[in-house]
Amino acid sequence: MIINGVEIRDTFAEAFPMVGTRLIVTADTPEWALTAGRTTTGFATSVIGCGCEAGIERTLAPEETPDGRPGVALLIFAMDFKQLKTVVPLRLGQCVLTCPTTACYAGIEDGKRVPLAKTIRYFADGHQISKKIGDKRFWRLPVMEGEFVCDEDTGSVEGVGGGNFLILARSRGQALKAAEAAVVEMGKVEGVILPFPGGVVRSGSKVGSKYKGLFASTNDAYCPTLRGTVPSQLPAEVGSVMEIVIDGVSFEAVSEATRVGIAAVCALGSEGGVVAIDAGNYGGNLGPFHFKLREIMAADAENGAGGAA
Amino acid sequence: MSGVSLKPRAPFEARVDMAGITPVVTCALTLPELERLAVPFGARSVPLAELFFIEGAPEGVLLIEIGDARLDGVGAGMDKGELIVDGPVGAWAGRGMSGGVLRIAGDAGDFLGAELSGGEISLGGNAGERVGTASSGARRGMSGGTIRIAGSVGTRAADRQRGGLIVIDGDAGEGLATDMIAGTVSVAGAIGPRMGRGMRRGTIFASALPDLPAGFVDTGAHELVAVRLIARRVPELAGVLEGWESTRRIVGDTLMGGQGEVLVQA
Repeated sequence: MIINGVEIRDTFAEAFPMVGTRLIVTADTPEWALTAGRTTTGFATSVIGCGCEAGIERTLAPEETPDGRPGVALLIFAMDFKQLKTVVPLRLGQCVLTCPTTACYAGIEDGKRVPLAKTIRYFADGHQISKKIGDKRFWRLPVMEGEFVCDEDTGSVEGVGGGNFLILARSRGQALKAAEAAVVEMGKVEGVILPFPGGVVRSGSKVGSKYKGLFASTNDAYCPTLRGTVPSQLPAEVGSVMEIVIDGVSFEAVSEATRVGIAAVCALGSEGGVVAIDAGNYGGNLGPFHFKLREIMAADAENGAGGAA
Repeated sequence: MSGVSLKPRAPFEARVDMAGITPVVTCALTLPELERLAVPFGARSVPLAELFFIEGAPEGVLLIEIGDARLDGVGAGMDKGELIVDGPVGAWAGRGMSGGVLRIAGDAGDFLGAELSGGEISLGGNAGERVGTASSGARRGMSGGTIRIAGSVGTRAADRQRGGLIVIDGDAGEGLATDMIAGTVSVAGAIGPRMGRGMRRGTIFASALPDLPAGFVDTGAHELVAVRLIARRVPELAGVLEGWESTRRIVGDTLMGGQGEVLVQA
Protein backbone atom coordinates (compact mmCIF):
# COMPACT_ATOMS: atom_id res chain seq x y z
CA MET A 1 0.00 0.00 0.00
CA ILE A 2 1.30 3.40 -0.95
CA ILE A 3 -0.38 6.67 0.04
CA ASN A 4 0.94 9.86 -1.52
CA GLY A 5 4.23 8.16 -2.23
CA VAL A 6 4.57 6.83 1.32
CA GLU A 7 4.80 3.08 1.73
CA ILE A 8 2.51 1.65 4.40
CA ARG A 9 4.33 -1.49 5.42
CA ASP A 10 2.43 -4.72 5.85
CA THR A 11 2.87 -4.99 9.57
CA PHE A 12 1.11 -4.15 12.82
CA ALA A 13 1.61 -2.37 16.11
CA GLU A 14 1.39 -4.66 19.07
CA ALA A 15 -0.18 -3.20 22.19
CA PHE A 16 -0.95 -4.27 25.73
CA PRO A 17 -3.80 -4.01 28.18
CA MET A 18 -3.42 -1.21 30.68
CA VAL A 19 -5.72 0.28 33.28
CA GLY A 20 -6.29 3.99 33.17
CA THR A 21 -8.19 6.88 34.59
CA ARG A 22 -9.05 10.42 33.64
CA LEU A 23 -8.68 13.45 35.88
CA ILE A 24 -10.29 16.80 35.20
CA VAL A 25 -8.07 19.55 36.58
CA THR A 26 -9.36 23.11 36.63
CA ALA A 27 -7.78 26.41 37.59
CA ASP A 28 -8.49 30.13 37.54
CA THR A 29 -6.77 30.50 34.16
CA PRO A 30 -6.08 28.15 31.25
CA GLU A 31 -2.36 28.70 31.83
CA TRP A 32 -2.45 27.40 35.40
CA ALA A 33 -4.63 24.48 34.40
CA LEU A 34 -2.09 23.61 31.74
CA THR A 35 0.77 24.01 34.21
CA ALA A 36 -0.92 21.57 36.57
CA GLY A 37 -1.55 19.19 33.71
CA ARG A 38 2.01 19.27 32.47
CA THR A 39 3.42 18.83 35.95
CA THR A 40 1.08 15.95 36.79
CA THR A 41 1.88 14.12 33.59
CA GLY A 42 5.59 14.81 33.73
CA PHE A 43 8.05 11.94 33.97
CA ALA A 44 5.37 9.55 32.80
CA THR A 45 6.55 8.49 29.37
CA SER A 46 6.83 4.78 29.93
CA VAL A 47 5.85 2.30 32.60
CA ILE A 48 9.29 0.80 32.18
CA GLY A 49 10.89 3.58 34.18
CA CYS A 50 8.12 5.88 35.38
CA GLY A 51 5.54 3.57 36.90
CA CYS A 52 2.85 4.98 34.68
CA GLU A 53 2.18 6.66 31.36
CA ALA A 54 0.31 9.93 31.38
CA GLY A 55 -0.55 12.87 29.24
CA ILE A 56 -2.90 15.75 28.62
CA GLU A 57 -5.82 14.40 26.65
CA ARG A 58 -7.17 17.84 25.80
CA THR A 59 -7.88 21.27 27.18
CA LEU A 60 -11.37 22.02 28.44
CA ALA A 61 -13.46 25.16 28.08
CA PRO A 62 -15.08 26.51 31.28
CA GLU A 63 -18.50 25.22 30.27
CA GLU A 64 -17.10 21.68 30.09
CA THR A 65 -15.77 21.54 33.64
CA PRO A 66 -17.53 20.85 36.93
CA ASP A 67 -16.75 24.25 38.46
CA GLY A 68 -17.03 26.37 35.35
CA ARG A 69 -13.35 27.24 35.12
CA PRO A 70 -10.88 26.37 32.37
CA GLY A 71 -9.32 22.97 32.70
CA VAL A 72 -7.48 20.03 31.25
CA ALA A 73 -8.36 16.37 30.94
CA LEU A 74 -5.52 14.08 31.93
CA LEU A 75 -5.20 10.37 31.24
CA ILE A 76 -3.01 8.21 33.44
CA PHE A 77 -2.31 4.56 32.64
CA ALA A 78 -0.58 1.82 34.62
CA MET A 79 0.04 -1.87 34.06
CA ASP A 80 -2.35 -2.93 36.81
CA PHE A 81 -4.96 -1.45 39.09
CA LYS A 82 -2.81 -1.66 42.19
CA GLN A 83 -0.14 0.44 40.53
CA LEU A 84 -2.74 2.92 39.28
CA LYS A 85 -4.08 3.34 42.81
CA THR A 86 -0.54 4.14 43.91
CA VAL A 87 0.58 6.59 41.25
CA VAL A 88 -2.60 8.67 40.91
CA PRO A 89 -2.79 9.92 44.52
CA LEU A 90 0.96 10.55 44.47
CA ARG A 91 0.76 12.75 41.39
CA LEU A 92 -2.41 14.39 42.65
CA GLY A 93 -0.79 15.25 45.94
CA GLN A 94 2.49 16.47 44.58
CA CYS A 95 1.45 18.15 41.35
CA VAL A 96 -2.20 19.24 41.50
CA LEU A 97 -2.69 19.99 45.17
CA THR A 98 0.44 22.14 45.12
CA CYS A 99 -0.42 24.06 41.97
CA PRO A 100 -2.09 27.45 42.55
CA THR A 101 -5.88 27.74 42.11
CA THR A 102 -6.43 24.17 40.96
CA ALA A 103 -9.23 21.74 41.71
CA CYS A 104 -9.46 18.12 40.64
CA TYR A 105 -12.48 16.05 39.60
CA ALA A 106 -13.28 12.57 38.41
CA GLY A 107 -13.12 12.22 34.65
CA ILE A 108 -14.53 8.70 34.50
CA GLU A 109 -17.63 7.66 36.40
CA ASP A 110 -17.63 3.90 35.92
CA GLY A 111 -15.21 1.11 36.75
CA LYS A 112 -13.09 0.36 39.77
CA ARG A 113 -12.56 3.37 41.99
CA VAL A 114 -9.21 5.14 42.10
CA PRO A 115 -8.78 7.22 45.25
CA LEU A 116 -8.27 10.96 44.93
CA ALA A 117 -9.14 13.05 47.98
CA LYS A 118 -9.99 9.81 49.71
CA THR A 119 -6.25 9.48 50.15
CA ILE A 120 -4.85 13.00 50.15
CA ARG A 121 -7.49 14.60 52.37
CA TYR A 122 -5.40 13.80 55.40
CA PHE A 123 -3.03 16.55 54.33
CA ALA A 124 -5.61 18.92 55.81
CA ASP A 125 -4.83 17.55 59.24
CA GLY A 126 -8.42 17.24 60.40
CA HIS A 127 -9.63 20.50 58.82
CA GLN A 128 -10.88 18.75 55.69
CA ILE A 129 -14.58 19.12 54.90
CA SER A 130 -16.59 16.71 52.80
CA LYS A 131 -19.78 17.39 50.94
CA LYS A 132 -21.94 14.73 49.36
CA ILE A 133 -24.04 15.70 46.38
CA GLY A 134 -26.20 12.90 45.07
CA ASP A 135 -23.96 9.85 45.01
CA LYS A 136 -20.76 11.89 44.71
CA ARG A 137 -18.63 13.13 47.56
CA PHE A 138 -16.06 15.86 47.23
CA TRP A 139 -13.61 17.27 49.72
CA ARG A 140 -12.38 20.73 50.59
CA LEU A 141 -8.87 20.99 51.94
CA PRO A 142 -7.80 24.29 53.48
CA VAL A 143 -4.45 25.37 52.00
CA MET A 144 -2.39 28.52 52.33
CA GLU A 145 -3.74 29.93 49.08
CA GLY A 146 -7.39 29.19 49.97
CA GLU A 147 -9.06 25.85 49.44
CA PHE A 148 -8.31 22.81 47.34
CA VAL A 149 -11.46 21.10 46.08
CA CYS A 150 -11.24 17.50 44.96
CA ASP A 151 -13.57 14.61 44.24
CA GLU A 152 -13.25 11.66 46.59
CA ASP A 153 -12.36 9.25 43.82
CA THR A 154 -12.58 8.61 40.11
CA GLY A 155 -13.46 5.66 37.93
CA SER A 156 -11.18 3.63 35.73
CA VAL A 157 -11.13 1.81 32.42
CA GLU A 158 -9.33 -1.13 30.96
CA GLY A 159 -7.46 0.53 28.14
CA VAL A 160 -4.75 -0.08 25.63
CA GLY A 161 -1.12 0.93 25.95
CA GLY A 162 1.71 0.89 23.48
CA GLY A 163 -0.06 1.52 20.21
CA ASN A 164 2.54 2.95 17.88
CA PHE A 165 3.82 3.69 14.42
CA LEU A 166 7.18 4.63 13.02
CA ILE A 167 7.87 7.41 10.56
CA LEU A 168 10.76 6.60 8.26
CA ALA A 169 12.04 9.76 6.54
CA ARG A 170 14.99 10.93 4.56
CA SER A 171 16.29 13.37 7.14
CA ARG A 172 15.90 14.15 10.81
CA GLY A 173 14.17 17.43 10.06
CA GLN A 174 11.69 15.78 7.74
CA ALA A 175 10.98 12.98 10.19
CA LEU A 176 10.36 15.47 12.95
CA LYS A 177 8.15 17.68 10.84
CA ALA A 178 6.04 14.67 9.89
CA ALA A 179 5.82 13.56 13.50
CA GLU A 180 4.76 17.04 14.58
CA ALA A 181 2.02 17.06 11.97
CA ALA A 182 0.78 13.70 13.22
CA VAL A 183 0.78 14.83 16.84
CA VAL A 184 -1.36 17.85 16.02
CA GLU A 185 -4.02 15.72 14.37
CA MET A 186 -3.87 12.92 16.91
CA GLY A 187 -4.36 15.45 19.68
CA LYS A 188 -7.88 15.98 18.37
CA VAL A 189 -8.86 12.37 19.03
CA GLU A 190 -10.65 11.91 22.33
CA GLY A 191 -9.56 9.16 24.68
CA VAL A 192 -5.89 8.95 23.76
CA ILE A 193 -2.60 10.39 24.91
CA LEU A 194 0.86 10.41 23.39
CA PRO A 195 2.94 10.07 26.55
CA PHE A 196 6.40 10.84 25.19
CA PRO A 197 7.98 14.31 24.95
CA GLY A 198 5.89 16.37 22.57
CA GLY A 199 4.18 13.13 21.62
CA VAL A 200 7.28 11.86 19.81
CA VAL A 201 9.85 9.19 20.62
CA ARG A 202 13.26 9.45 19.01
CA SER A 203 14.65 6.44 20.86
CA GLY A 204 12.26 3.59 20.27
CA SER A 205 13.23 0.38 22.01
CA LYS A 206 13.26 -3.32 21.45
CA VAL A 207 12.61 -5.86 24.14
CA GLY A 208 15.69 -7.06 26.03
CA SER A 209 19.36 -6.20 26.00
CA LYS A 210 22.76 -7.78 25.91
CA TYR A 211 23.18 -6.37 29.40
CA LYS A 212 21.73 -8.33 32.28
CA GLY A 213 18.89 -6.55 34.05
CA LEU A 214 17.91 -4.23 31.22
CA PHE A 215 14.37 -4.85 29.99
CA ALA A 216 14.66 -2.72 26.89
CA SER A 217 17.35 -1.31 24.68
CA THR A 218 17.73 0.74 21.53
CA ASN A 219 15.79 -0.53 18.55
CA ASP A 220 18.93 -1.12 16.51
CA ALA A 221 17.07 -2.39 13.47
CA TYR A 222 15.73 1.14 13.01
CA CYS A 223 18.88 3.08 13.90
CA PRO A 224 20.14 4.67 10.68
CA THR A 225 23.72 4.92 11.95
CA LEU A 226 23.84 1.14 12.39
CA ARG A 227 22.61 0.28 8.92
CA GLY A 228 24.79 -2.43 7.53
CA THR A 229 26.16 -3.45 10.91
CA VAL A 230 22.91 -5.02 12.17
CA PRO A 231 19.89 -6.62 10.44
CA SER A 232 18.34 -3.28 9.49
CA GLN A 233 14.77 -2.43 8.54
CA LEU A 234 15.81 0.79 6.89
CA PRO A 235 16.27 1.29 3.17
CA ALA A 236 19.24 3.32 2.09
CA GLU A 237 17.36 6.59 1.68
CA VAL A 238 16.08 6.66 5.26
CA GLY A 239 18.13 8.97 7.44
CA SER A 240 15.94 9.25 10.52
CA VAL A 241 13.05 7.48 12.27
CA MET A 242 10.58 8.91 14.74
CA GLU A 243 8.06 6.87 16.70
CA ILE A 244 4.71 7.90 18.06
CA VAL A 245 3.37 5.88 20.98
CA ILE A 246 -0.33 5.91 21.78
CA ASP A 247 -2.20 4.96 24.94
CA GLY A 248 -5.97 5.04 24.90
CA VAL A 249 -9.12 4.21 26.77
CA SER A 250 -10.16 1.72 24.10
CA PHE A 251 -8.93 -0.21 21.07
CA GLU A 252 -11.10 1.99 18.86
CA ALA A 253 -9.62 5.22 20.22
CA VAL A 254 -6.06 4.04 19.62
CA SER A 255 -6.96 2.78 16.18
CA GLU A 256 -8.52 6.10 15.22
CA ALA A 257 -5.54 8.04 16.55
CA THR A 258 -3.25 5.79 14.53
CA ARG A 259 -5.29 6.44 11.42
CA VAL A 260 -5.36 10.22 11.69
CA GLY A 261 -1.68 10.32 12.61
CA ILE A 262 -0.58 8.28 9.63
CA ALA A 263 -2.91 10.25 7.38
CA ALA A 264 -1.28 13.48 8.53
CA VAL A 265 2.15 12.07 7.78
CA CYS A 266 1.04 10.82 4.40
CA ALA A 267 -0.38 14.24 3.59
CA LEU A 268 3.21 15.48 3.59
CA GLY A 269 4.02 12.53 1.37
CA SER A 270 7.23 11.61 -0.31
CA GLU A 271 7.70 15.24 -1.25
CA GLY A 272 7.93 15.95 2.45
CA GLY A 273 10.68 13.39 2.76
CA VAL A 274 8.58 10.62 4.23
CA VAL A 275 9.59 7.20 2.89
CA ALA A 276 7.50 4.70 4.82
CA ILE A 277 5.31 4.01 7.85
CA ASP A 278 6.23 1.02 9.98
CA ALA A 279 5.20 -0.21 13.42
CA GLY A 280 6.74 -1.90 16.42
CA ASN A 281 5.72 -5.40 17.39
CA TYR A 282 7.07 -8.50 19.05
CA GLY A 283 5.85 -11.02 16.55
CA GLY A 284 2.35 -10.94 17.93
CA ASN A 285 3.18 -13.13 20.88
CA LEU A 286 3.16 -10.59 23.71
CA GLY A 287 0.35 -8.11 23.29
CA PRO A 288 -3.25 -9.05 22.52
CA PHE A 289 -4.03 -5.85 20.62
CA HIS A 290 -2.81 -5.73 17.02
CA PHE A 291 -3.18 -2.55 15.00
CA LYS A 292 -2.67 -3.62 11.40
CA LEU A 293 -1.50 -0.59 9.50
CA ARG A 294 -2.92 -1.50 6.12
CA GLU A 295 -6.32 -2.37 7.57
CA ILE A 296 -6.44 0.89 9.49
CA MET A 297 -5.45 2.91 6.44
CA ALA A 298 -7.55 1.01 3.94
CA ALA A 299 -10.35 3.55 3.87
CA ASP A 300 -7.94 6.46 3.46
CA ALA A 301 -6.17 4.63 0.67
CA GLU A 302 -9.46 3.89 -1.09
CA ASN A 303 -10.50 7.50 -0.77
CA GLY A 304 -7.44 8.34 -2.78
CA ALA A 305 -5.64 10.17 -0.04
CA GLY A 306 -2.65 11.11 -2.07
CA GLY A 307 -2.60 8.32 -4.62
CA ALA A 308 -2.99 4.85 -3.23
CA ALA A 309 -1.37 1.97 -5.06
CA MET B 1 -52.40 11.22 34.62
CA SER B 2 -52.52 7.47 35.26
CA GLY B 3 -52.66 6.19 38.78
CA VAL B 4 -54.84 6.16 41.85
CA SER B 5 -56.57 9.26 43.13
CA LEU B 6 -57.97 9.76 46.60
CA LYS B 7 -60.63 12.40 47.06
CA PRO B 8 -61.86 13.11 50.60
CA ARG B 9 -65.55 12.38 51.02
CA ALA B 10 -65.84 15.25 53.55
CA PRO B 11 -63.64 17.44 55.73
CA PHE B 12 -61.98 15.18 58.27
CA GLU B 13 -63.35 15.32 61.79
CA ALA B 14 -60.24 13.72 63.23
CA ARG B 15 -56.64 13.26 62.22
CA VAL B 16 -55.84 10.60 59.65
CA ASP B 17 -52.55 8.71 59.69
CA MET B 18 -51.63 8.18 56.04
CA ALA B 19 -48.23 6.64 56.78
CA GLY B 20 -47.61 3.63 54.59
CA ILE B 21 -50.11 4.59 51.90
CA THR B 22 -47.53 5.04 49.21
CA PRO B 23 -47.49 4.66 45.41
CA VAL B 24 -45.90 1.25 45.84
CA VAL B 25 -48.70 0.06 48.08
CA THR B 26 -51.47 1.44 45.88
CA CYS B 27 -49.86 -0.18 42.84
CA ALA B 28 -49.64 -3.52 44.59
CA LEU B 29 -53.30 -3.67 45.59
CA THR B 30 -56.48 -3.95 43.58
CA LEU B 31 -59.02 -1.19 44.02
CA PRO B 32 -61.26 -3.36 46.27
CA GLU B 33 -58.26 -4.23 48.42
CA LEU B 34 -57.33 -0.57 48.56
CA GLU B 35 -60.82 0.37 49.62
CA ARG B 36 -60.65 -2.10 52.51
CA LEU B 37 -57.22 -0.93 53.64
CA ALA B 38 -57.44 0.10 57.28
CA VAL B 39 -56.13 3.53 58.24
CA PRO B 40 -55.92 5.10 61.70
CA PHE B 41 -58.60 7.77 62.00
CA GLY B 42 -58.71 9.55 65.32
CA ALA B 43 -58.86 6.89 68.02
CA ARG B 44 -60.08 4.15 65.69
CA SER B 45 -59.27 2.49 62.43
CA VAL B 46 -61.45 2.73 59.34
CA PRO B 47 -61.35 1.44 55.76
CA LEU B 48 -59.74 3.89 53.38
CA ALA B 49 -62.92 4.01 51.30
CA GLU B 50 -64.79 5.43 54.31
CA LEU B 51 -62.65 8.55 54.07
CA PHE B 52 -61.93 8.85 50.38
CA PHE B 53 -63.48 8.31 46.99
CA ILE B 54 -60.92 6.05 45.32
CA GLU B 55 -60.58 6.08 41.58
CA GLY B 56 -58.13 5.13 38.87
CA ALA B 57 -55.91 2.19 38.15
CA PRO B 58 -53.31 0.79 40.51
CA GLU B 59 -50.30 2.13 38.61
CA GLY B 60 -48.21 5.26 38.31
CA VAL B 61 -48.86 8.28 40.50
CA LEU B 62 -50.79 8.44 43.74
CA LEU B 63 -52.83 11.64 43.88
CA ILE B 64 -54.60 13.10 46.89
CA GLU B 65 -56.95 15.46 45.15
CA ILE B 66 -57.82 17.73 48.05
CA GLY B 67 -55.29 18.08 50.81
CA ASP B 68 -56.15 18.61 54.44
CA ALA B 69 -54.11 19.73 57.43
CA ARG B 70 -55.44 16.72 59.31
CA LEU B 71 -53.73 14.26 56.95
CA ASP B 72 -50.65 13.20 58.87
CA GLY B 73 -47.79 11.05 57.62
CA VAL B 74 -48.50 11.61 53.94
CA GLY B 75 -45.79 9.87 51.95
CA ALA B 76 -44.13 8.53 55.09
CA GLY B 77 -41.98 5.54 54.28
CA MET B 78 -42.02 6.11 50.52
CA ASP B 79 -39.17 4.47 48.68
CA LYS B 80 -40.15 5.10 45.09
CA GLY B 81 -42.91 6.45 42.91
CA GLU B 82 -44.63 9.79 42.98
CA LEU B 83 -47.22 11.11 45.40
CA ILE B 84 -48.95 14.41 44.69
CA VAL B 85 -51.12 16.32 47.14
CA ASP B 86 -53.24 19.12 45.81
CA GLY B 87 -53.47 21.12 49.00
CA PRO B 88 -52.09 21.12 52.54
CA VAL B 89 -50.98 18.19 54.67
CA GLY B 90 -50.54 17.65 58.38
CA ALA B 91 -47.52 16.59 60.39
CA TRP B 92 -44.86 14.04 59.54
CA ALA B 93 -45.24 14.26 55.75
CA GLY B 94 -42.46 12.33 54.04
CA ARG B 95 -41.17 10.96 57.33
CA GLY B 96 -38.47 8.35 56.75
CA MET B 97 -38.73 8.56 52.96
CA SER B 98 -35.87 6.81 51.18
CA GLY B 99 -36.82 7.49 47.59
CA GLY B 100 -39.47 8.77 45.22
CA VAL B 101 -41.03 12.17 44.90
CA LEU B 102 -43.56 13.81 47.19
CA ARG B 103 -45.14 17.01 45.86
CA ILE B 104 -47.37 19.02 48.14
CA ALA B 105 -49.09 22.06 46.72
CA GLY B 106 -50.04 23.66 50.04
CA ASP B 107 -48.65 24.00 53.55
CA ALA B 108 -47.25 21.21 55.70
CA GLY B 109 -47.38 20.69 59.44
CA ASP B 110 -44.49 19.92 61.76
CA PHE B 111 -41.75 17.39 61.11
CA LEU B 112 -41.87 17.56 57.32
CA GLY B 113 -39.25 15.16 55.96
CA ALA B 114 -38.17 13.99 59.37
CA GLU B 115 -35.40 11.39 59.05
CA LEU B 116 -35.52 11.58 55.26
CA SER B 117 -32.77 9.44 53.75
CA GLY B 118 -33.50 9.81 50.05
CA GLY B 119 -35.94 11.06 47.50
CA GLU B 120 -37.37 14.50 47.02
CA ILE B 121 -40.02 16.53 48.81
CA SER B 122 -41.38 19.65 47.18
CA LEU B 123 -43.63 21.95 49.18
CA GLY B 124 -45.58 24.81 47.62
CA GLY B 125 -46.44 26.58 50.87
CA ASN B 126 -45.06 26.98 54.36
CA ALA B 127 -43.87 24.25 56.72
CA GLY B 128 -44.23 23.95 60.45
CA GLU B 129 -41.56 23.23 63.00
CA ARG B 130 -38.60 20.87 62.70
CA VAL B 131 -38.33 20.31 58.98
CA GLY B 132 -35.88 17.51 58.19
CA THR B 133 -35.20 16.86 61.82
CA ALA B 134 -35.15 13.74 63.97
CA SER B 135 -38.18 12.23 65.58
CA SER B 136 -38.49 12.65 69.32
CA GLY B 137 -35.81 10.55 70.93
CA ALA B 138 -33.95 9.85 67.70
CA ARG B 139 -30.34 10.95 67.49
CA ARG B 140 -30.18 12.02 63.88
CA GLY B 141 -32.34 13.93 61.47
CA MET B 142 -32.48 13.63 57.71
CA SER B 143 -29.47 11.94 56.16
CA GLY B 144 -30.10 12.35 52.45
CA GLY B 145 -32.52 13.50 49.80
CA THR B 146 -33.85 16.96 49.11
CA ILE B 147 -36.56 19.09 50.67
CA ARG B 148 -37.54 22.14 48.69
CA ILE B 149 -39.88 24.65 50.33
CA ALA B 150 -41.36 27.56 48.44
CA GLY B 151 -42.50 29.31 51.60
CA SER B 152 -41.13 29.68 55.10
CA VAL B 153 -40.42 27.18 57.86
CA GLY B 154 -40.95 27.21 61.60
CA THR B 155 -38.47 26.71 64.39
CA ARG B 156 -35.66 24.19 64.59
CA ALA B 157 -35.51 23.20 60.93
CA ALA B 158 -32.55 20.93 60.11
CA ASP B 159 -32.20 20.02 63.77
CA ARG B 160 -29.61 17.19 63.97
CA GLN B 161 -29.56 16.97 60.18
CA ARG B 162 -26.71 14.72 59.04
CA GLY B 163 -27.00 14.85 55.25
CA GLY B 164 -29.09 15.91 52.31
CA LEU B 165 -30.30 19.29 51.20
CA ILE B 166 -32.99 21.66 52.43
CA VAL B 167 -33.76 24.67 50.25
CA ILE B 168 -36.03 27.30 51.80
CA ASP B 169 -37.18 30.10 49.56
CA GLY B 170 -38.72 32.03 52.44
CA ASP B 171 -37.71 32.60 56.05
CA ALA B 172 -36.47 30.14 58.68
CA GLY B 173 -37.56 30.31 62.29
CA GLU B 174 -35.53 30.29 65.46
CA GLY B 175 -32.91 27.63 66.10
CA LEU B 176 -32.21 26.63 62.50
CA ALA B 177 -29.61 23.83 62.21
CA THR B 178 -29.31 23.27 65.93
CA ASP B 179 -26.90 20.39 66.57
CA MET B 180 -26.52 19.95 62.81
CA ILE B 181 -24.15 17.08 61.98
CA ALA B 182 -23.74 17.46 58.20
CA GLY B 183 -25.65 18.34 55.07
CA THR B 184 -26.66 21.58 53.42
CA VAL B 185 -29.36 24.16 54.04
CA SER B 186 -30.12 27.23 51.99
CA VAL B 187 -32.35 30.06 53.22
CA ALA B 188 -33.26 32.83 50.83
CA GLY B 189 -35.18 34.87 53.40
CA ALA B 190 -34.52 35.91 56.97
CA ILE B 191 -33.14 33.50 59.56
CA GLY B 192 -34.41 33.58 63.12
CA PRO B 193 -32.18 33.95 66.18
CA ARG B 194 -29.92 31.34 67.73
CA MET B 195 -29.22 29.37 64.61
CA GLY B 196 -26.45 26.77 64.51
CA ARG B 197 -26.07 26.17 68.24
CA GLY B 198 -24.10 22.95 68.67
CA MET B 199 -23.51 22.69 64.92
CA ARG B 200 -20.74 20.19 64.19
CA ARG B 201 -20.43 20.22 60.41
CA GLY B 202 -22.59 21.09 57.45
CA THR B 203 -23.20 24.18 55.38
CA ILE B 204 -25.80 26.92 55.63
CA PHE B 205 -26.18 29.29 52.69
CA ALA B 206 -27.74 32.48 54.01
CA SER B 207 -28.87 35.57 52.13
CA ALA B 208 -27.77 37.83 54.97
CA LEU B 209 -25.63 37.43 58.04
CA PRO B 210 -27.86 35.82 60.69
CA ASP B 211 -27.79 36.21 64.44
CA LEU B 212 -25.25 33.59 65.47
CA PRO B 213 -24.25 32.15 68.83
CA ALA B 214 -20.94 33.13 70.40
CA GLY B 215 -19.25 30.00 69.15
CA PHE B 216 -19.19 31.16 65.52
CA VAL B 217 -16.04 32.74 64.10
CA ASP B 218 -15.93 34.97 61.04
CA THR B 219 -13.03 33.85 58.83
CA GLY B 220 -13.54 36.67 56.33
CA ALA B 221 -14.35 36.76 52.63
CA HIS B 222 -12.98 34.14 50.25
CA GLU B 223 -13.23 33.04 46.65
CA LEU B 224 -14.47 29.50 47.20
CA VAL B 225 -14.26 27.06 44.32
CA ALA B 226 -16.60 24.82 46.29
CA VAL B 227 -19.39 27.38 45.92
CA ARG B 228 -18.92 27.41 42.15
CA LEU B 229 -18.97 23.63 42.15
CA ILE B 230 -22.12 23.39 44.25
CA ALA B 231 -23.83 25.97 42.05
CA ARG B 232 -23.23 23.75 39.04
CA ARG B 233 -23.73 20.34 40.60
CA VAL B 234 -26.85 21.13 42.62
CA PRO B 235 -29.58 22.46 40.34
CA GLU B 236 -31.69 23.47 43.35
CA LEU B 237 -28.98 25.92 44.40
CA ALA B 238 -27.99 27.26 41.00
CA GLY B 239 -30.26 30.28 41.31
CA VAL B 240 -29.37 30.91 44.94
CA LEU B 241 -25.64 30.95 44.25
CA GLU B 242 -25.69 32.77 40.95
CA GLY B 243 -23.24 35.64 40.97
CA TRP B 244 -21.46 34.59 44.16
CA GLU B 245 -17.91 35.66 43.45
CA SER B 246 -16.83 36.19 47.01
CA THR B 247 -18.14 34.35 50.05
CA ARG B 248 -17.99 35.29 53.70
CA ARG B 249 -17.39 32.18 55.75
CA ILE B 250 -18.39 31.91 59.41
CA VAL B 251 -17.36 28.71 61.16
CA GLY B 252 -18.93 27.11 64.20
CA ASP B 253 -20.08 26.09 66.65
CA THR B 254 -16.49 26.21 67.90
CA LEU B 255 -17.62 25.97 71.52
CA MET B 256 -18.64 22.42 70.63
CA GLY B 257 -15.53 21.82 68.52
CA GLY B 258 -17.72 22.19 65.46
CA GLN B 259 -16.59 22.94 61.93
CA GLY B 260 -19.91 23.80 60.41
CA GLU B 261 -20.11 26.87 58.23
CA VAL B 262 -22.46 29.67 57.39
CA LEU B 263 -21.77 31.10 53.94
CA VAL B 264 -23.00 34.53 52.96
CA GLN B 265 -22.36 36.35 49.72
CA ALA B 266 -19.69 38.98 50.45
